[in-house]
Amino acid sequence: MIEMIRQILQNHPEVDAFTIGAELTESLELFFIRRELDMNRAKKVAHYRVTVYKDFEADGVRYRGSAQVEIHPTLSGPEIRRAVADAVFAAALVRNPWYPLVEPAPLIVEAPPGNFGTGDLADWLPALTEALYRNDCHEAGWINSAEVFLNRIKLRLVNSAGVDRSRVAYGAELEVIVNWREADHEVEIFRDLHFAAFGPDAIAAQVREMLHYGREKALARLTPALRQYTVILTGEPVREFFRYYQAQVGAQNVYEGTSLFKVGQSVQGDAVRGDRISLSLDPTLPFSTASSPFDPDGLPVQPVVIVRDGRLLRYRGDTRYASYLGVPPTGNIANLVIDGGSRPLAELKADPYLEIASFSDFQMDPLTGDFGGEIRLGWYNDGHQTVPVSGGSISGNIRAVQEEMYLSRELQQENNFVGPQSVKLLNVSVTGAQ
Amino acid sequence: MRVEGSEFLRGAKSDLEKLVGELAQYFQYVSILATDSWGKRYGVQKSGVQVEESRWTERGFVARVFNGRNYSEYSFNQLQPVADMVDAVREAAERSLRRMTQAGAPVARLPLIEETETEGSFHGEVGILPGRMSVADKLARLAEIRDQAFAQSERLVDFRAIYEEVQVAKVFLSQRKQLEQAYVWSQGYLFPIVRRDGRTKRAFRAFSGLKGPELLEEMAGAVPASIQLAESLLDAAAVPPGEYEVICAPEVVGLIAHEAFGHGVEMDMFVKKRAKAEEYLGQAVASPLVTMHDGAAAACHVSSYWFDDEGTPAGDTIIIDAGILRTGISDLLSALRLGTPPTGNGKRESFERKAYARMTNTFFAPGNDRLEEMIASIRHGYLLDGAESGMEDPKNWGIQCMVLRGQEIRDGRLTGKLVSPVLMTGYVPDLLRSISMVSGEVRLFGSGACGKGHKEWAKVSDGGPYIKAKARLG
Repeated sequence: MIEMIRQILQNHPEVDAFTIGAELTESLELFFIRRELDMNRAKKVAHYRVTVYKDFEADGVRYRGSAQVEIHPTLSGPEIRRAVADAVFAAALVRNPWYPLVEPAPLIVEAPPGNFGTGDLADWLPALTEALYRNDCHEAGWINSAEVFLNRIKLRLVNSAGVDRSRVAYGAELEVIVNWREADHEVEIFRDLHFAAFGPDAIAAQVREMLHYGREKALARLTPALRQYTVILTGEPVREFFRYYQAQVGAQNVYEGTSLFKVGQSVQGDAVRGDRISLSLDPTLPFSTASSPFDPDGLPVQPVVIVRDGRLLRYRGDTRYASYLGVPPTGNIANLVIDGGSRPLAELKADPYLEIASFSDFQMDPLTGDFGGEIRLGWYNDGHQTVPVSGGSISGNIRAVQEEMYLSRELQQENNFVGPQSVKLLNVSVTGAQ
Repeated sequence: MRVEGSEFLRGAKSDLEKLVGELAQYFQYVSILATDSWGKRYGVQKSGVQVEESRWTERGFVARVFNGRNYSEYSFNQLQPVADMVDAVREAAERSLRRMTQAGAPVARLPLIEETETEGSFHGEVGILPGRMSVADKLARLAEIRDQAFAQSERLVDFRAIYEEVQVAKVFLSQRKQLEQAYVWSQGYLFPIVRRDGRTKRAFRAFSGLKGPELLEEMAGAVPASIQLAESLLDAAAVPPGEYEVICAPEVVGLIAHEAFGHGVEMDMFVKKRAKAEEYLGQAVASPLVTMHDGAAAACHVSSYWFDDEGTPAGDTIIIDAGILRTGISDLLSALRLGTPPTGNGKRESFERKAYARMTNTFFAPGNDRLEEMIASIRHGYLLDGAESGMEDPKNWGIQCMVLRGQEIRDGRLTGKLVSPVLMTGYVPDLLRSISMVSGEVRLFGSGACGKGHKEWAKVSDGGPYIKAKARLG
């Protein structure tokens, strides 16, 4: 199929350049209620996504228009030619500054080793299930339901500049809901885990922690109205918190004017009293479903430091937007690494705090820096005792807290994010549930 | 204009009928959903133009069979000789099931789906068919909208105008059903981003409906208001945390309906014992002023269809009737387990995904109050508008609604002071029982996508009238 598409594109007189991205996915899926298998699904699908480029000049300026189209495998030759012609017509109407396609070049790094590639895909299902249910052994707490997805994706990327890359990627997803009951009060904890390689102990540990959180939530009191308080984000919300910096160091945001970050300047303001962040991108991160030796444009990628000790060293950018800014591209790398801080979590808890491990949906606005969420599970320390709490919410803006925030020395990994286990923020607005 | 069905599906139908017939020799129940939905997304901003495939584009098939104990599914998007497709579905149904039973996994038993003989087709109507307006004209209209915005404000950092159109075509075949449908929906967004003294704020206005490119004219008419909204946010403060009397605009009311008793009554959650609502059927969960609907046939909006992705006809479910929780919304397999009738809410993200109980058009019914009276009745509170996002908690009835803006009300008048963003949280029954006034006009909004947990995105609409309630803001 990909050769037929390539020939049609090469023979079209109006196509100046093109890329073809092919994904052939084989998937096995299991759906459990408690321990019973409720449904099984399988999938075998092919997707071909084509971008056609049309170059032109106007008023002495070079432009490159583009349009994307999906070529379904059930399209006939004449239908593909018609779809390409429509895309070319649309691309000619798109007036974007010219930028280059990725050129052929040797890869710099290798993909991290995985293990789902060995043996039959179906053979991994019992192993995944065993790890999932290994710690489901409590009377008061249990796995309510779970969904297991295991994907093998054959990727190929071809462009008119001669790039032709392919690899096989694996991705597993476990959606797990855990319940815990104390007296007549029953609560649930939800997690959606993604990983590219099988690590049974890590899966079992996640479920064990969920059961622990379930018990804590079942015993939780309502969050008091604390007004302004020290807040420690722990676990899953930490990744979302750092989404602000991930976005603001992006070449596209800088080019479009939605980021004012400048290379050489501090990303945390002028009077940093807490930890200074260091942010890097690592396409070789083990277990991450986003690890790859080349980016979605086919550019060879390698680990790169973007922010060191709070200072912006370079922008994160794909070939197009790096070209617009006149800087070398890092490639579009989706693995984010934030270094840990200098102190252990225990030291961050020296003063009274509200530690929050689970929100309904913690959100960071990557443009404005506004953040907030409803608390599903936290621990309130008033200087004397620590009790689990639930309900209420926090809200704030990262620009108001970034000059004095502290990162734990302990690290966590959640798929394509490695970063501090916890982040301590001062004077955050806390709405109580009482 | 009448929306025509898919030529591709018409051509494939004969083979798919044969596939159902062949599979029926091995399985007591067989169905196939075939989809051919295409769409484009056009975007224009200060520094670029995009023409992309809509994320809702799909063309493929999903076969469901009764494997003797429960149901197995196989999603595919290549047509092969019928015998080969039969082998592929059989292998897919048995492969992982066999492996899991060998490993000793217990397997649930479900009843056999009983269907009544149904055949027919549905074609939606739209003002302008997407193909009747050229790509050049769509991009030119979006560029005019952008230029109009930049002519209005010097504080604009960027202004994004996005228009997306999707033509949906589906065929559902089983031993006893032959159904076809085709309709068009569209959505659009205006995203002004403004900056003053280094402070950046963004706003949005969204548009949607069972419409085609005529939506572009609605968007053009809203440019001044969208800029005004964004600029007003530059002066907004943080809301002092606390409980307030609030008036929620229809868009926020839709978010409440969606998160509170939309997700909370999806009946696959009843099957899993994840929904607290199951324990409260027949009981008061809201003010008597509250009546709430969900259904593809309950309104004409982006989630209106003739049949759902399991071949069940569209319905209009009254979830809450004058404050009393009456029933939930159900997919077919959950209904089988629960012994209840399916309500036409079995939806898939695409042919590649499982069907779940999902919302369609979810909204509160109108009341008799006027907005002016509602504002006049508040001593200190906020008028909340601009629904950004929400999250459900069906097990514990917590609710989180992220709202763009609150306009302060003091002594029955809008003061002109703004707070932004606003996080509204609370315990669902407390919030719904506190509703004391309901306005007369219902508006629906369908520009977003609804997830189940953190995945399975589906098109829905929601809305309602203005309501007055008590809520915690932060």
